[in-house]
Amino acid sequence: MCNITKESAFEAISTVIDPEVGFNLVEMGLIYDAIIDDSCNVKVIMTLSTQGCPLHQMIKQWVQEAVEKLEGVGDVEVEVVWEPAWNISMADDHVKEKLSGGMTS
Amino acid sequence: MLAIGKDFAPPLKLISPYFKIGVTFYLLAMVALLSFSSTFTYQEMAIAGWIHLFLLGFVMVVIFGAMAQLIPVVLEVGHAIVDLYYVILPLLGVGAVGMVLGFWVNPALLSYGGLLVLVAMIIFAIEAFATLKKAEIKTLTVKTIAVSNTFLLLGILSGFVIALGLSGAISVDVNAILKAHVYAVLGGFVLLTIMGLSLTLIPMFSLAHGFDETPIKRGFNLVAIGVGIVFVSAIFGIDSIAWVGYILTLTGIGFYIYQIYIIYKLTVRKEMDIWAKSMIFGFSSLMLSLILAILSFLPNADEVLLHTSLWFFMIGFIGFLINGHLYKIVPFLVWFERFSPLVGKEPVPMLHEMYPKEKANMMFWYSSIGTVLGGVGLLVESDYLFQSGASLLVVGAIFLYLSMSKMLSYGK
Repeated sequence: MCNITKESAFEAISTVIDPEVGFNLVEMGLIYDAIIDDSCNVKVIMTLSTQGCPLHQMIKQWVQEAVEKLEGVGDVEVEVVWEPAWNISMADDHVKEKLSGGMTS
Repeated sequence: MLAIGKDFAPPLKLISPYFKIGVTFYLLAMVALLSFSSTFTYQEMAIAGWIHLFLLGFVMVVIFGAMAQLIPVVLEVGHAIVDLYYVILPLLGVGAVGMVLGFWVNPALLSYGGLLVLVAMIIFAIEAFATLKKAEIKTLTVKTIAVSNTFLLLGILSGFVIALGLSGAISVDVNAILKAHVYAVLGGFVLLTIMGLSLTLIPMFSLAHGFDETPIKRGFNLVAIGVGIVFVSAIFGIDSIAWVGYILTLTGIGFYIYQIYIIYKLTVRKEMDIWAKSMIFGFSSLMLSLILAILSFLPNADEVLLHTSLWFFMIGFIGFLINGHLYKIVPFLVWFERFSPLVGKEPVPMLHEMYPKEKANMMFWYSSIGTVLGGVGLLVESDYLFQSGASLLVVGAIFLYLSMSKMLSYGK
């Protein structure tokens, strides 16, 4: 029986911060899904805020490493998709609020 | 699926000298402005020397450094031969100094400096084309790189012919080739490169999504065709078609500005950091430059309109677009090299923490007020205003230099 849930996977991924904007990937709305099978193998479906992101591979790696820290996890796979395309409405409200003016340079 | 891993990223030690040296040339170019008055002609050797100091030493060096890092990002492949960038910088830097001294001190140096620049740019263009050949994607930015590099080759070949002519090695109509050279380099390479790269970088930093790219596609085609027509008209002496080229180029710039407006309307990040302020000033300068350029083509228009238009294009638009992006690109490169391996193991800084905000703001205000004062000085032909503007630009350039040193040494 696998004890890992979608929520625990998302919680693990929330430790990964985008260094450009300063928010974690979950609150940015970049993590679309985490599929967990009976053997505790986890497949994370995510996107990025831009297709030309120079950190693409590294962010994938950070997400994988974050999930691999979960106790009892099997294989971890991270898939980056571009459909549906990310937009700001997918982010948490406090992210939208800060990006739209509250944050200082 | 993208694959931009650490394998594709050139090392910081390869790219950082481009930015250090480029910013040093920018400082030298601003200091050199102090020796100029508000009235001049483009045929003066001193003016040609300053333009090469600014365009070769600052603009080209920084663009080449940025391309070393951005080409893999945009094309999604590694460089064909990334180590060539170690060769390009010394050739370009020494060549630029040689050319500037050739214009200012001894014309015999022009052909030597010009040859070094020619070799540097041919290596850059060949490497860029070889990398393009590896790329599978064909976005507008990819197309831009291909076309702008073709203009670069035309521009440097025509420039080298001019250098040979001025140093007395061959006999050519320098004025005719000069026009072709200026258009190919400034409009064909610098403007098209900035148009292409800004379509990738500005939405990336502003988090703008889902915008229509039709205006930039039209703008790109119009500028490319317009510059091509002016180039051909200058080389073959067909003055009658040059006007078509000017109109197409200016209309293309108009479409580009409209594209930036569309992106701006969809911008999610609203904070006014040094990058955002620089973009606003840069594109405002471009609009002003466009208006002045249109006015300069009216019958009996004073030549000062064209001088002022070029001032706002070079210092206000190109200068601020490049300098503003340095405050994003350099911290990223330093972070990628020094901090990305530490992610998940210990706290790492955010990118916006890695540039000195006070120095950056000083750079912005001194430079922007200096640009406006200098431009007004040119427009009303006031040496006092022009020199006041130049003095402020020098102070701004010192703050840029200090910012660059600080950013590059962060976390060392």
